[in-house]
Amino acid sequence: MMHKKTPLTWRKITENRLFFPLVALFLILLFDFIFIPGFFAIENRDGNLYGSLIDIMRNGSTVSLLAIGMTLVIATGGIDLSVGAVMAISASVAGILMNPSALKSEVFFVTDPTYTFQPLWIVIGVALIVALFCGMWNGFLVAFMKIQPMVATLVLMIAGRGIAQLITNGLRVQITYKPFSYIGQGWIILPFSLYIVVFVLIVTSLLTRKTAFGLFIESVGINFRSSFFSGIKEKNIKFTVYALCGLCAGIAGLVACSNVKTSDANNIGLFNELDAILAVVIGGTSMSGGRFSLVASIVGALVMQAVTQSMYALGVPAFALQAIKAVVVIIVIMLFSEQFKGFVRNLGAKKKEVKP
Amino acid sequence: MIRRISNFISNNRRFIPLSATALLAIIAYGLGAIFFVGMRNPQVFLNLFRNSSYLLISAVGMTLVIISGGIDLSVSGIVVLTTVVSAALLQNNWNPWVVILFVLVMGMSLGAIMGSFIVYLKVQPFIATLAGMWFARGLCFFISDNAINIDDRTFKIIGQTRILIPGLKELADRQGIPAPYISIPVLIAFLVFLVAFYLAHFTRFGRTIYAIGGNQQSARLMGLPVNRTLLQVYTFNGFCSAMAGLAFALFVSSGHGLYAPGFELDVIASVVIGGTLLSGGSGYVVGTLFGVMVLAISQALIQFIGSLSSWWTKIVIGVLMLSFIGVQALLANRKVGIKALDAQAVRQNRKKFALGFGAVAILVILAILITPKLGLFSPSSTTETQQCEVKPFRKDEASSLIEGGAVIAYHRLAGPNCVDEMYAIYPDGLVLGDNGERELEKMVTPVDVELLLKTITEDYKWYGNEIRDSYHVPCRQCFAHYVIVAQDGQEKGTTAVDGGVNMPPEYGFTLAVIRPLLPEFNPSP
Repeated sequence: MMHKKTPLTWRKITENRLFFPLVALFLILLFDFIFIPGFFAIENRDGNLYGSLIDIMRNGSTVSLLAIGMTLVIATGGIDLSVGAVMAISASVAGILMNPSALKSEVFFVTDPTYTFQPLWIVIGVALIVALFCGMWNGFLVAFMKIQPMVATLVLMIAGRGIAQLITNGLRVQITYKPFSYIGQGWIILPFSLYIVVFVLIVTSLLTRKTAFGLFIESVGINFRSSFFSGIKEKNIKFTVYALCGLCAGIAGLVACSNVKTSDANNIGLFNELDAILAVVIGGTSMSGGRFSLVASIVGALVMQAVTQSMYALGVPAFALQAIKAVVVIIVIMLFSEQFKGFVRNLGAKKKEVKP
Repeated sequence: MIRRISNFISNNRRFIPLSATALLAIIAYGLGAIFFVGMRNPQVFLNLFRNSSYLLISAVGMTLVIISGGIDLSVSGIVVLTTVVSAALLQNNWNPWVVILFVLVMGMSLGAIMGSFIVYLKVQPFIATLAGMWFARGLCFFISDNAINIDDRTFKIIGQTRILIPGLKELADRQGIPAPYISIPVLIAFLVFLVAFYLAHFTRFGRTIYAIGGNQQSARLMGLPVNRTLLQVYTFNGFCSAMAGLAFALFVSSGHGLYAPGFELDVIASVVIGGTLLSGGSGYVVGTLFGVMVLAISQALIQFIGSLSSWWTKIVIGVLMLSFIGVQALLANRKVGIKALDAQAVRQNRKKFALGFGAVAILVILAILITPKLGLFSPSSTTETQQCEVKPFRKDEASSLIEGGAVIAYHRLAGPNCVDEMYAIYPDGLVLGDNGERELEKMVTPVDVELLLKTITEDYKWYGNEIRDSYHVPCRQCFAHYVIVAQDGQEKGTTAVDGGVNMPPEYGFTLAVIRPLLPEFNPSP
């Protein structure tokens, strides 16, 4: 009865899933605060906010979107390596629907910002449906063909970029259509892509926390055999999760290609699957499946982006950045090792013993 | 008779993926030889090995890692780090043999570090080696932003020595074609292959790898040295990656951190196509040799067909992987069937298996058949596309054009027809083109030029940091570009190569907006 309202102890805080990702984010922002003057400055231009912090959120939006889908997949004990390729496919579909000149092996110089071959809703709809199909293909291989997730999605990871190039005839398709570029470059006080992330996050959270779906995902991830015996259709759950991941990748692809105003089958989403997986790992979801937290994954994506952004601010060249990113990842993973977690928890426990 | 065959198959079931790969390699090459005269040239056959020597070296190491139940994504990172480090050290006049020793030790220690992360800190192999790849690739750019050429004499000798094949020389003499040869990296690749073959199948170390891949827990309970063996496997793969990096450096005779993008995927694909299960515990080093062959042959076929673009390679690899994974999944299902000991179930399973296998085989053969069919009508398909001798950029000439008042000078090299074209765009709308044989002139309006300059400098931020030199040796059908843009006293010339992921996107847009203004030497009808 005494324990009805437990006080906010150190142990309680450290056991929260959000604790370690937030600590990591805090440490990086602290580093920025000390070493990069003006990192926290936020500028108000015509009512819209600009600044490094906003940039972190804006540039992190593609990885955040991927991380939402990836969290669900990893929670079922799987992995989806193909999200980067699916991004490229959805971007290519969108590009070709707006500017089909590439199919005739010629790129004409479109400067008219109102030109588009198909209306916007068809462009977005078709691109997302194609991405959904890619996800369903992965889900079919994993759930019904019982192929190891890593292998099954590796197929699309390799072939997907080829397919994307096939769609655009191997050319970079320029996108000048104004309304479409709003997806990645528009601002309503905050960047528009941020609202997309929040929208997808809310929908997915409602789907997983207000229905039994989230519970089923976790149960499949912890032990799919016993979930099967307790009457959960584990195949359907896996299939749905991969399809959702494909859909998220499709949205991320649209944001990415609208951001650079081009649909480039070679570069869009390159290595983003790895960023997304690391974001999920930093968010504390175990790679072997089970408990998951969508918000923690998004914090993980922000951690990755904050590292990138602060290194840019320090003038580290884009490619050399990878080495630093690798070191950060290793440190973060060490932070997550059970030994270290236990060490931090014991810190609090020892203090309590000293108190009385 | 049928029973005997079926018994033979079920007794040697574990060799099915291996023999399927070998059969596929032979069929693919045979079909190629039937359709394309050039493919019958013995040198083209040997080139399959020459062009994929580094892939074979790396894939052999990866086979052991995958058999042990792990994965190593860092191979492409270590490969490029090796090219950059060896190029940089050679530039500082280090002894080439010391350089070779140094990079090999470097590769091994990187492998060992990743291995110890995996073994002692229990980091997932996927994550640890991913960090390894980023680390290695990033390190390259701390050493040099640009590609470094390798001019060392010893490296040249190793890379360019031609080893004639006894027996084939006489054959070639009779046909009046140059004697076919292989290079030293091919020999090294086969040496590494033989070493790995011996290690995997004839030593205690190899058997331990299989045991760990089958079930790590049981291997540990059996008292096998799991930690030590895993560490050795990752160290060996680090060694193989560094060796592949050396072979790659000899192949392109330069070093840069952007080389070989997605190389690890090719490596993993060739291991999987070679019949090794990605879940570990099953597979053969010989299979990997055939896997690499299949990859090389499909690449060669696509080049011979000519009308198919290079990205078809990726799709073909994906389809092949899918078929092999399908076969393996069916095999795995069949094992369960035998355990059931129910004759009916066994028979049913056998039927299912035969059906599935037939379907997959048909799919594979169709893929191979359709692929050449698509290109049968292209006229240039029977000749071997020669690798173009890429000349250096004539940067001085381009600068002198700018001094002569041009706002944009554009030099384009290589490509499928091995062009060498120099263009200059003047502010009054005059556009000059020179391809070494003819000079062309074209007039556009000054407004066009102004719009062009505005687009390049403002929209694509030509003078920004995103536009940087990204030259490397262009692939077979790719162009090399050098563009100088001069505006308001600012002048910046940048190199790039298309067909890869290296070119900054803005550079591509710049080329796309310049191109419509240029005069055409061979106007398309």
